[in-house]
Amino acid sequence: MKDNFVNHLRPRFISDRALSVYYTFCLGGLSFLAFLMLGITGILLMFHYQPGTSSGFSSVLTIGSVIPYGSVIRNLHYWSAQLMVVTVNLHMVRVVWTHSYKPPKQLNWLVGVGLLVLVLVLDFTGYLLIGSQESGAAATVAANLLKQIPGLGTALAQIALGEPTALSGSTLIVYVWHCVALPLAAFWLQLYHFWRIRRDGGVRPL
Amino acid sequence: MAGQIECSRRTVLRFAWSGMVAVGALSVKPLVDYLTSKEDQPRTSLVAYEKSLVEKTDWQHVPNSRVWVMRDDQGIAALVATCTHLGCEVTYHPERKQWLCPCHGSIYDTDGRPVEGPAPKALPRAAVERKADGSLIINTEKQVGLDARL
Repeated sequence: MKDNFVNHLRPRFISDRALSVYYTFCLGGLSFLAFLMLGITGILLMFHYQPGTSSGFSSVLTIGSVIPYGSVIRNLHYWSAQLMVVTVNLHMVRVVWTHSYKPPKQLNWLVGVGLLVLVLVLDFTGYLLIGSQESGAAATVAANLLKQIPGLGTALAQIALGEPTALSGSTLIVYVWHCVALPLAAFWLQLYHFWRIRRDGGVRPL
Repeated sequence: MAGQIECSRRTVLRFAWSGMVAVGALSVKPLVDYLTSKEDQPRTSLVAYEKSLVEKTDWQHVPNSRVWVMRDDQGIAALVATCTHLGCEVTYHPERKQWLCPCHGSIYDTDGRPVEGPAPKALPRAAVERKADGSLIINTEKQVGLDARL
């Protein structure tokens, strides 16, 4: 059964042209690699990070200064996130460049757009969790933007951000979105994204 | 011109595998250090008591700590309410003038000397100092004798 499952992960054949690095530059793969890295370092950071408008920033400082190897892990997390935003955007540019959004891949393009939004929101919530004054300003702007939506706005801001102060964007609610809900959604959507590539005929010039 | 390097797919994969194993082995110690670090937990042996304790009083509990303070004719003393048997937190019962341990029923007299049960030693006393504003600082790491007073 194990052999069966592992063998099903691989396609029956791959065309030579699909293996060309210069066609995709492996930007999606790099993004996924960054995502895995973010997952691993993120779980490690959760062991020492304490969300909250008063504790967030100081625990980030503690991780970065006194916890052994904490600054390595935090920097891996931070730079993987920066890398992922860059590679995801380049990946999108590549897909447009090679016309890979056209039928039969139109659904996967939409999935990709969803993933792009998820990655950007993850990046933003990560920025809020640093808990610095800048994050407080960013959270305030985001909350005020959401509150502009008539009717639902106030509730939406509460659900998305909790009650950040102008001095720190780190709240328990942002923490749960960033560490549990959004990564899980992004992970399953990515698996679907990859499966869809095979389903739509694999990577190949149309 | 350098000669062509023989490099089969198997060689490359084996090289990559050993690289991954090496990285994995090398990251064990950093990970253990990181995960077992208690640097971010507040760890101070100093307990503050906001009142100045000028009048004679029976044992008073210092909030959020295991420290109790009292003042008698000789002065102020502080006691750490950790059972000398297995470390449970004992409480003072003023009506009985005794310290009772909830775990194995050790009983101490009002000075903290063991009276009954498995407790082998008296409850530890800690050094007390007075700050400039009149409040007390108890150093739980600094043990003193039963008769020590501030």
